[in-house]
Amino acid sequence: MDLLHNLALGLGVAVSLQNLTYALLGCMVGTLIGVLPGIGPVATIAMLLPITFHLPPTASLIMLAGIYYGAQYGGSTTSILVNLPGEASSVVTCLDGYQMARNGRAGAALSISAVGSFFAGTVGTILIVLFAEPLTLMAQKFGPADYCSLMALGLIAAIVLASGSVTKAIAMVFLGLLFGLVGTDVNTGAQRYTFDIPELSDGIDFAPIAMGLFGIAEIVVNLERHLTRTGAIKVSSLWPTSDEIRRAIPAVLRGTTLGSVLGVLPGGGPTLGAFSAYTLEKKLSKTPQMFGKGAVEGVAAPEAANNAAAQTSFIPMLTLGIPSNAVMALMVGAMIIQGIQPGPEVMTKKPDLFWGMIASMWIGNAMLVIINLPMIGIWVKLLTVPYRFLAPAILLFCCIGAYSLQNSTFHVMQVAVFGVLGYIFVRLGCEGAPFLLGLVLGPQMEEYFRRAMLLSRGDPMVFLERPISLGLLITTALLLVLMALPSFKRAREEAFQEEG
Amino acid sequence: MFVGFGVAALYFGQKLAIGTAVRMGPGYVPRMLSMILLGLGLLICVLSLINPGEQVEKPKWKPITLVTIGIVCFALLLERAGLIPALIVLILISSLAGEEFKLLEVIGNIVVLSILCIVVFKLGLGMNISVLQGVW
Repeated sequence: MDLLHNLALGLGVAVSLQNLTYALLGCMVGTLIGVLPGIGPVATIAMLLPITFHLPPTASLIMLAGIYYGAQYGGSTTSILVNLPGEASSVVTCLDGYQMARNGRAGAALSISAVGSFFAGTVGTILIVLFAEPLTLMAQKFGPADYCSLMALGLIAAIVLASGSVTKAIAMVFLGLLFGLVGTDVNTGAQRYTFDIPELSDGIDFAPIAMGLFGIAEIVVNLERHLTRTGAIKVSSLWPTSDEIRRAIPAVLRGTTLGSVLGVLPGGGPTLGAFSAYTLEKKLSKTPQMFGKGAVEGVAAPEAANNAAAQTSFIPMLTLGIPSNAVMALMVGAMIIQGIQPGPEVMTKKPDLFWGMIASMWIGNAMLVIINLPMIGIWVKLLTVPYRFLAPAILLFCCIGAYSLQNSTFHVMQVAVFGVLGYIFVRLGCEGAPFLLGLVLGPQMEEYFRRAMLLSRGDPMVFLERPISLGLLITTALLLVLMALPSFKRAREEAFQEEG
Repeated sequence: MFVGFGVAALYFGQKLAIGTAVRMGPGYVPRMLSMILLGLGLLICVLSLINPGEQVEKPKWKPITLVTIGIVCFALLLERAGLIPALIVLILISSLAGEEFKLLEVIGNIVVLSILCIVVFKLGLGMNISVLQGVW
């Protein structure tokens, strides 16, 4: 009954005119950037972080969340119609979606993916509601040592599931942690790594780093490549045949389940969910030879999975304050900008924000179906805007956004510095996401670490003596061992092979 | 590739030196992290020496240089000259970074974005920036 009460509260917050407007705005922007290749949700949210500073906390988080799941919808549209994935998570949708479109079933593919996504989004939202409270209660029992271990587990798990070199990713996490320490030390007031620059004494601001690392670096990489575009396929009737529906329903169900589970895992999220769902469908199918030639299941399952995962990845962030991927790290950043410390306290101290955001996700998902299906023509038109118009516009918004943080050009300079750094990362094959996770968790982790050490009078055994902490550390160690095992390594490489 | 990692290791090493110089209290955690990072940097170096399979793509210098110059110019011009001049310079420079450059298109882009920025940031969000220093 408490649950219903909470949901009612959330709905009450979410349907206020202001929050509805921002949810709609977020969904529109999300769809837009989902449709446009070359700019993803991470870069967009990074770009908009400074603007959220001017908005009330609930509205800004609702908008950012809308961008994130809106991008999942938008990405599938372009995958199906022009064989051009707008997002990494819709790469697999291209395989069968575009083939379906070429077979004259573009409309069916689009409506199946939209309805499947909506269903998955709804399930994901329900899961958040169900799991939020027990997890939060559990988290409140955690001591400093437990928290420190939990963060370690989160960081390591994020690496295991992320693609790319493991050693490089671990190095990136530590680099991120180190960057997170810049500024005045909370306990002693000592200046660390500030190089006598007064602006650095508050730490490096999160927004410029995110903008530089993801926004600028992404633009530069895209400028180097020449993006080619193919013509869009005309949309036929939106109604799928009964045979298509019959085949899509179980696929959507499986995709939703798989996506929900993978979304909660640190380092999981939409992309992993979509790829795994596609592989699963292919294995289960009686007609695997149909895949890649326009199989309905190959569209329905990954689309459902990426949306379910997009929703459930909010669970660890909202309840434990631990981001599971780069977008969630940005959401944590947005909360900190608003003066909210993410963690179990959010739910008890800010119930309106917490439940309002969850309710708005469901409303947003419903909006997206409406936005997407009738307006497909408009989104496809947008694809014809050449990148040479977009790149300067994105750059400009990044710069103004950075400036508006504190009305200082110093932040704009920071964007430039981190843009170069981000570009170097990309060129060296190092991923930005682990860096960002480390950066966000760095200060908190140090806090908890030192507090735990203080309580135990400098005895590091405290991490092994507390049962919760011990369990978490053992899991972390197991994951690391798994990574080192050659058989697992191969399986992991194979799993990511299909991505490339 | 090796040069890249050499630079990376050097970079980590530099961080380490700063880390050890700080007092033991606040410097404890940074120092620990620097040590681990240095170790990992070296490990990556060794690993890449053992199997020198992958080649790092040759970077193109033009886009990254021009984009960075553009942002720096924007930062320098924004408070001294106002939003519009800064915006024009940024768009001009960053447009040069792309493959095609058509003056007419770029001018059109500048006009559209100028109007958009004034409406959104100055009028919409009420931000405290001067559009043209000394004029508005």
